Parts: sequence; structure tokens; C-alpha cells
Amino acid sequence: MATTTTTELPKRYHDAVERWRQTYLPDFDYLIENWDRYFPRDPRFRLCAYRECGMPCAIECGEDQGRPKHRSAAAMKPEVAHQLLAQIRAQASTEFGSIQQHQLTLARAHDEEEQAMVLRMMAEELRHGYQMLHLLVEDDWSAVAGASADQMIEEILSMRTGSHVLGAFNIDFESFVDNVVFCALIDRVGKYQLSMQKISSYSPMAESMPQMLREEAFHLATGVVPLRRWVVKAAQGSPLVTLAVIQKHLYKWVPRALEMFGDERGGATNVKWGLKPMKNQEAQDQYWREIEKVVRDLNMRYLRARLTHLDLAGAEAALAKLETEGGAIEGVRAEDLLRLPDREFFRRRGVPAFRMVGVDGERFEEVEAFLNHLVRVLPDGYRATADFRDYVESLRAVARGDRSPEEAQKQMPALRRVGGVCPCSKSVRWVAEEAVESPTSGAAR
Amino acid sequence: MTATTLLVRPLSELDLDGIVRIVEKTRNRYEPDLWEDRVTYYLRRDPETSVVAESAGEVVGFMLGDVRSGEFGLEDPTGWIEVLGVDPTHAGGGIGRALAEAMLESFRSRGVRRVRTMVDESMPEVEAFFRKLGFAPDSLRPFVMHLP
Repeated sequence: MATTTTTELPKRYHDAVERWRQTYLPDFDYLIENWDRYFPRDPRFRLCAYRECGMPCAIECGEDQGRPKHRSAAAMKPEVAHQLLAQIRAQASTEFGSIQQHQLTLARAHDEEEQAMVLRMMAEELRHGYQMLHLLVEDDWSAVAGASADQMIEEILSMRTGSHVLGAFNIDFESFVDNVVFCALIDRVGKYQLSMQKISSYSPMAESMPQMLREEAFHLATGVVPLRRWVVKAAQGSPLVTLAVIQKHLYKWVPRALEMFGDERGGATNVKWGLKPMKNQEAQDQYWREIEKVVRDLNMRYLRARLTHLDLAGAEAALAKLETEGGAIEGVRAEDLLRLPDREFFRRRGVPAFRMVGVDGERFEEVEAFLNHLVRVLPDGYRATADFRDYVESLRAVARGDRSPEEAQKQMPALRRVGGVCPCSKSVRWVAEEAVESPTSGAAR
Repeated sequence: MTATTLLVRPLSELDLDGIVRIVEKTRNRYEPDLWEDRVTYYLRRDPETSVVAESAGEVVGFMLGDVRSGEFGLEDPTGWIEVLGVDPTHAGGGIGRALAEAMLESFRSRGVRRVRTMVDESMPEVEAFFRKLGFAPDSLRPFVMHLP
């Protein structure tokens, strides 16, 4: 029988996460106080690490397939342990990073239920980050990390939007549309990563995944279900949301989601060492097919809200006609419908990095013309962000020949400080030496 | 359709349109809001127990349920099968049974020893389906009253 065990981090680390939570997730107490109101009969949230029992004991892919899985970092080849450690740190960074992003615009939700769903999702992301810290603390990584558990946890908890490992987590949210689109697109990449890590040759990693995946299923609904309702509101002429706004946010987030799979040419060592069952390109392809379905389903929901007299067969035929022939049906134009951007659009990592490709795959020769295109198709507020500014600077440098695309990719914040401690941690100490009387005293801001 | 083309897997939010489509075909009702609420409920409570059947990339059946305890004096964890739907164009292909077997296995793996459902007397084919699976009438009976 499959069972799950629960454990807590040693107190000083548990307290460090609690302090972080009080800073970056201030609505947590409201969530707990109102849990039964929003999620009646659901098990109460608990900040702990879950481990699944009864998982496969043998390595499931790669050159050591069939051999016993590793139970400690010391039992692994140094290069494998090093890569695994990078994955754990990256995973932890994403979990904590997304909370910082969601918090920015959580209060701007129009709908109380949608807000509660996002808030619960944030609490569960905190638990996912906690789960990754648990992996760092319960094993001895010193041989490959070059840092103590204290230092690694301090580094992860000190990251802020702009210094996280993956680009998608370095972008400030501007409105609640970001919260929802992020759940539908970026959390979906998370689902892929967790699913792949479920077969990890490092048992503690594999055993950590099932509970995270259970929770991730709800996170995806937290994105998709509000989107489905928003397209209906848009179809009904609501002034609060339009397909054009949703479309711009798809253009904003899809490129970042694709990059989260890593360079399209990479991932072979993950398979070889039994850390993941798929290379980057294969996983990205599967993801692409999934988000194609998300968009098509949204279009169907929109179409049926616009043309309410159509039955199922009529609506399916109408959508197929709009997709293949374009034009308009009873006032619904093909260009009104949502679409995914070209896979090379607005990329800064991977094979298409810094290519000037528009949303429909059109190629640009002039930087300024391409930037004008970006300004037209991306959300207005995004133009004012540091993320977009960094991209524009890098793109211009690449176009001038001052940097190669490969060099420009390395300008990402995390790559500037791999192996070091985030500079901002000099003013913040999350891991206290001893028990702290005041729960917020360790979180200087 | 052959059994080899049928994939039974846990429910996901991507199955919403497929479920809405099956219900529309079987009950002639288009109720996306209702199913968005219900699917969200099962995903947040117990995403591995509820299952869908997929054939050639299309959802052709679904079964929703979860494990609860403390209701109606039933203290032991009880598996509840609450909704079953099969695309009528795929009826008779063993989809219902495949869904039920997957869900029963999920219940079993979680230590559940009793599984319950309710069947309307006006749907004898559904009763026959559950009887074939091994379900039998229980002493627990539904009561209803209508409020003015």
C-alpha cells in the first residue's frame, strides 16, 4: 500500500522558512483562518516535507538502469551529484520565487474565489520549496556544493525577483492576469519537471515528487479555470477582461515557459544519469502540444459564449473553419481568437536565443522594427520592467556584434553568481544561529 | 475501438472540455461552469483517484470520486464513486469497467475497504453495471424531502 511519511526541517531551518513566509506571504494567516470557508472538508495545510513510500528502488533509465537507486549524494558520481544539486537549487528557487511574484498582485483579483485559489497555491509552493530544502539538509552535499547547508539555504531564501535561477521567476507581475496565466503556463512546466524528477536515480528526490505533483494538479486548475471563465466574460462584453489582454499575456509568458526546459540541444546527461527520462526538446515538444490544447479549449469556450445558439457539433465545425480558413462567422473573426506565438518568438535562451522572430514567425532584420513589434504585442506594463530593459540591452548588443547570443544568455542574473551567495543576503539572515524570540526579527528588509 | 487503444489515467484540468462534451452528448446539457467547479474540487482534494479514459487523444469516459470518512456515521475511510460518464459513440467498449477498475485500485492502495455509490432506480443499466463489478445493495438508504 502506498503511504506517505511527513517530517519537518530541523527547527532553525523550519523557523527560517517561517520567517521568510511572514515576509513574502503575509496573507498566509488569512488563508488558514478561512480555510474551511474556501476549501471545506479539504485536509488542512501543513508546512512539512512529504516522502512517498513504495517507490521503485531501481534506476529507471540511463546507463545504470536496473541498478539500485542512490540514497545519498556521496553514493553518486561527483558530476551526477553536482548536476542533481543544481536541479534541487533551481527547483527550490522557482518555488520561493513564484510566491514573491504572486504576492505583488494577489490583492488585485476581481473574484474572491480565484484569489483564494491563488493564495492556497502560494502556500503549497512554499511547502514545495520547503521540500527541496529538506533534500539539501538531510544529506551531506558539502563535497559537491562547496557550501554548507546553512549557506545554501541562506542563498535560496535570499533570492528575490531578478536574482532567481530561471528567467520566468525574475519578472514582476503587473496584474492578476499574470497570476492566472502564470499558473496555466509556468506551473505546467513545473508539472513536467516534477513528473520527470519522479523517476530520479536519487531516491529522496523521487520520493519527494508524488505529493508535489498532487498539489500541482490543483495549481494548473487555478490557472485554467479562471481563464475559461474570463473568456466567457470577454465574449459577453465585460469591460473587465478582453481576449486582447489575455493574448498579450500569452505572448509574455510562453517564451519564458519554453526556456524553462533548458536548451533544446541539452538534457542528454539527465537521461544518461537517470535523473530525468526525457531530453529537453522532447519534454518541450510535449508541453507545446499541451498548451495548444489549452488555447483551443479556451477558444471553444469563447466561441460557444459568443454563438450560444450553436450546438456541440456546430461549434466544433465553426471553430475548425475559423482555424483553417480564417475569416469570420457571425461576427466572430479568426483574429479575435487566442493563439500561441511562434516557438522562436522573444527567446533569450536555447537555440532561438536573440533571433528576431515575431509572434507569427515573421523574421525581422532591423532591431528597432523588432522592438516596435514587441512593444505592440506585449502587455503595456511589461515594457517598464527591468526584465524587458535587460532583454532590449542584450538584443542591441547582439545586433551590434558586441556579444554573441551565447554570451548574452549568460547575462542572466543567476549565471552571474553561480556558486556564490546572493549579495543581498548581506543584509538578510534567514537562518538564525539560535532560536529567535521575535518571529520577524531575523528578516531585515 | 479495441482495449489496447484505451488509456486510463488520472484526471487533469485539461480534461474539462472532454467531460463537458460527454455530458452534453449523454444528457443534452451544456454545463461548463458546473464541471469546472466539480473538476476543480476533485483536483484539489484527490487528483489521483478520479480518472478519465482516453482513446486516440480524446476523452471518451470519466469517473469522479474521492475518499471521505465521518459522513452518515461511516467512520472508516470510504471510497465514493460519484459521477460516471462514457461517450455514447464508444459505449460497449469496456470503458466503464476500465475506469472502475482503476478507481477501485486507487481506493485499495489507500487502504479503503468499502466503496459506495448511489444509483437511481430509473437507470437500470447503471445498476447492472455496478452489480457486475461486485456492488450490492446496502442498508444505507437515501432519504429526500422537498422544501417549499
